[in-house]
Amino acid sequence: MQNDIARSKEAQQAQTVRVKPRWHMTVLHIVYYLIMIAFLVFYMLPFWGTVMTSFKTNSEVMTTTPIMPPRQWTLEGYASAMEELGQPLMTSLLVTLFGAAGSVFLGSICAYGLSKWKFRFNNVFFIALVAATYLPFQAILIPLLQTINALDLYDNVWGLVLVHTVFGMPMCTVMMRGYYADVPDALIRQAMIDGNGVWQIYRKIVVPNTKIATITVFVFQCTSIWNEMLFALVLGGYDSKPATIALNELAGTMAAEFNVQMAGSLILALPVLVLYIFMGKYLISGQMSGAVTAS
Amino acid sequence: MASIQIKDMSVSYNKGKSYVLDKLNLDIKDGEFCVFLGPSGCGKSTAMHCIAGLLHPASGEIRFGDTVMTRAGAKGRDKIFVPPQERNIAMVFQEYALYPNMTVRENMSFALKTKKAPKDEIEKRVSYMAQMLSIEQLLDRRPAELSGGQRQRVALGRALVRDPQVFLLDEPLGNLDAKLRDQVRYELKKIQLQLGITTIYVTHDQTEAMTMADHIVLMKDGHIMQQGTPNELYDHPENEFVAGFLGTPQINIFSCEVRDDVLDAGDFRLRIPQELRASLAPYAGKRVDLGIRPSDFELASSQENAIAAHVDSIEPLGDAYLIYVRIGEKVVVFKYTGEHAPQDRELLLTANMKKLHLFDPQTQERINQ
Ligand SMILES: Nc1ncnc2c1ncn2[C@@H]1O[C@H](COP(=O)(O)OP(=O)(O)O)[C@@H](O)[C@H]1O
Ligand SMILES: [Mg+2]
Repeated sequence: MQNDIARSKEAQQAQTVRVKPRWHMTVLHIVYYLIMIAFLVFYMLPFWGTVMTSFKTNSEVMTTTPIMPPRQWTLEGYASAMEELGQPLMTSLLVTLFGAAGSVFLGSICAYGLSKWKFRFNNVFFIALVAATYLPFQAILIPLLQTINALDLYDNVWGLVLVHTVFGMPMCTVMMRGYYADVPDALIRQAMIDGNGVWQIYRKIVVPNTKIATITVFVFQCTSIWNEMLFALVLGGYDSKPATIALNELAGTMAAEFNVQMAGSLILALPVLVLYIFMGKYLISGQMSGAVTAS
Repeated sequence: MASIQIKDMSVSYNKGKSYVLDKLNLDIKDGEFCVFLGPSGCGKSTAMHCIAGLLHPASGEIRFGDTVMTRAGAKGRDKIFVPPQERNIAMVFQEYALYPNMTVRENMSFALKTKKAPKDEIEKRVSYMAQMLSIEQLLDRRPAELSGGQRQRVALGRALVRDPQVFLLDEPLGNLDAKLRDQVRYELKKIQLQLGITTIYVTHDQTEAMTMADHIVLMKDGHIMQQGTPNELYDHPENEFVAGFLGTPQINIFSCEVRDDVLDAGDFRLRIPQELRASLAPYAGKRVDLGIRPSDFELASSQENAIAAHVDSIEPLGDAYLIYVRIGEKVVVFKYTGEHAPQDRELLLTANMKKLHLFDPQTQERINQ
C-alpha cells in the first residue's frame, strides 16, 4: 500500500515536471494564489490582532489599532492574566485530563463490546448511545446539579471529572466503534484460537492496533472538555472554577483591559493548539496493513 | 491429541432459511491427516470454523476424543459449547490474520506466551519452525513488510510451533508459488507425521489433497460426496462429481447405450467385460455414462475394442504427452507415456477395460463395483 502511494506520487511528480506551463495557466495560478491569500488574511487578521494586543501595555491598547505591532513589547498582560487564571488553569487541566481519560476508557470498552461481540440487544444499546450524544445538556442541567449536590461534589474538581466522563462516554463510544470495526474479525478469531479470552484480546490485540484512534478520540475529548463552559459554570462553583469561566470573568471585571484578556485567551488556546500540532504526526493511516489478505 | 467426531451437524448463516452444511457426519481418527476438498463455497471453511468453536451450528455434535466440544440444537442443560480458547487447537486462517502490531517472532510466540510456556522453549520452537519454513531472516519484521507468500508461511509457522490437540489449516498454501508450495507441502507433511497431531487441511486443490491426505472428505454444496483414502476416491469414485473432481486432466465421460454385450458410444463400441455384466444387467437397452481417465487409454495393438481417434494437438509434459484427440465430434484427452509422441494423425486407442467407471446418468451414482 505505502509503496503504491509512493509510486503514484513519483508518477505525479514526473508528470508535473513534464508539463510546460503555458501563459494562461500562469495567470490562473496567480488568481488562485490571490484568492487564497485574501482568505488567509481574512482568517488570520483577528488572530494577529489578538497576539499583537496581548503584548502591548494597557495604555498602548487605548491609543493604537489592534493590528499594529506594539511599540514597546511587554509581558505585562500575560502576568496579569496568569494571576487570575493560574488556579483555574490547573483545575481545567485536571478536569480535562481525567475527564478525557475516563470517557475514552469507558467508551473504548463499550465500543469493543459493541463492535466485536454479538449479544442480545446489541443494537438497542448502540442506538441509546447515539441518542445520548444528541442529548442537549441544557435539558438535564437542573437534575444534574441536584445529583451532583447530593453526591456532595459541587464546587469540586472530581464532580466535573465525573460529569465529563459520563457525558463524554457516548461520543467516545460512537467514534471508537467506527475505528474498532476496522480491526479484522479474523484477528479476533485468531487471538481466541491462540488461547485468549475477551479481555486479553482487548488488551493485547485491539488496543495496541488502534493507538492512533485512541489518541485521536482522546485529543477530541480534551479539546471539547477544555473549551467547555456550561458544566463548568453551573457545577464549578468558586474554588474549582475552570479557566474558561475565569477568562469570561476577566472580560467582565476588568473592562477595557484588552491586553490582559487577549493574553488570557491565548494562554487558554495554547494547549489545544500544541495538542493539534503534535497529533498531526499520529494521523498517518495504514496501521492495519499486513494483517489479512486483501481479498 | 484426539480423534474428531461430527454427528448430524447443520449450519445456517440465516437462522434456518437455508443450510450451508446439512447433517454432516464425519469421523477423523487420532493422528490422521484429513483433507476437506471441494469447490469454492461448498462449506469447507464453515465446517472448520465449527470445529474450532468459532461458529455455532444449528444442530449436531462435535467431539474431540470423548469430550463433547459443541452440542447444539438440544434443549437446556444438554447444550454444550467449549469456547475456542479452551479447545487447544492451532489454526491457520485463509486470510492469514497476522497481528500487525507484532513482529514475526512475536506473532509466532504469541500463543505459547499466552499459555505461559518457558521462554527458552518458545525460543527453541520458533527458531526451529522458522528454519523449517525458511523465514528465519524475517523474524524481526512486521507483517506489513512481508509479501503474501511470506505472510502465509508465517501464519503456518505460528500454528505449527504450538502443541495442540488439533491442527486446522484453511488453504494454508494458497498464496505460494508452485515451487515453494511443493517444498512447504513436503515440510508440512513431514512435520505432521513427526508430531502425530490430528490435522484437518482445507483446500480446493486436488493435487494437494491427493499428495498429503490420509483421508479425503470431498464436499459439494454442504454435502459430503465421498470420503476415503486418496486411492479409494481416485480408483473408485462413487459418483460422477467425484470422478470429475479428482485427476488432471479430467476424466473423459461418454454417454453409451447398453446393447446385448456391448457398450455403444456411437463412435465406438466396447465389448462388455465379464466382470461388468452383472452390474450392467439392469441397464440393458438404457444409457449409462462411461468414464475413462486420460491415463487409462493406450495405443491399440489389435482391432478388438479399438477406438478410432483423430489427433487435434499434442502437449508435451516432459515425462509424458497429453494428446487431445477427436473421437467422432467429441474431444478427448489421452495421456501417452511413450518416449516419442506418435507421428500419425489417425490413431487407434484402447481403454484399460479393468478401469472403466460406469455411472447412472440420472442419479450420477456409480454402477460397477
Ligand atoms: N459469514 C457468512 N455469512 C453468510 N454466508 C456465508 C458466510 N460465510 C460463508 N457463507 C456462505 O457459506 C457457503 C460456504 O462458505 P465457505 O465455508 O466459506 O466455503 P469454502 O470455504 O468451501 O469456500 C458459501 O456459499 C458462502 O457464501
Ligand atoms: Mg474457505
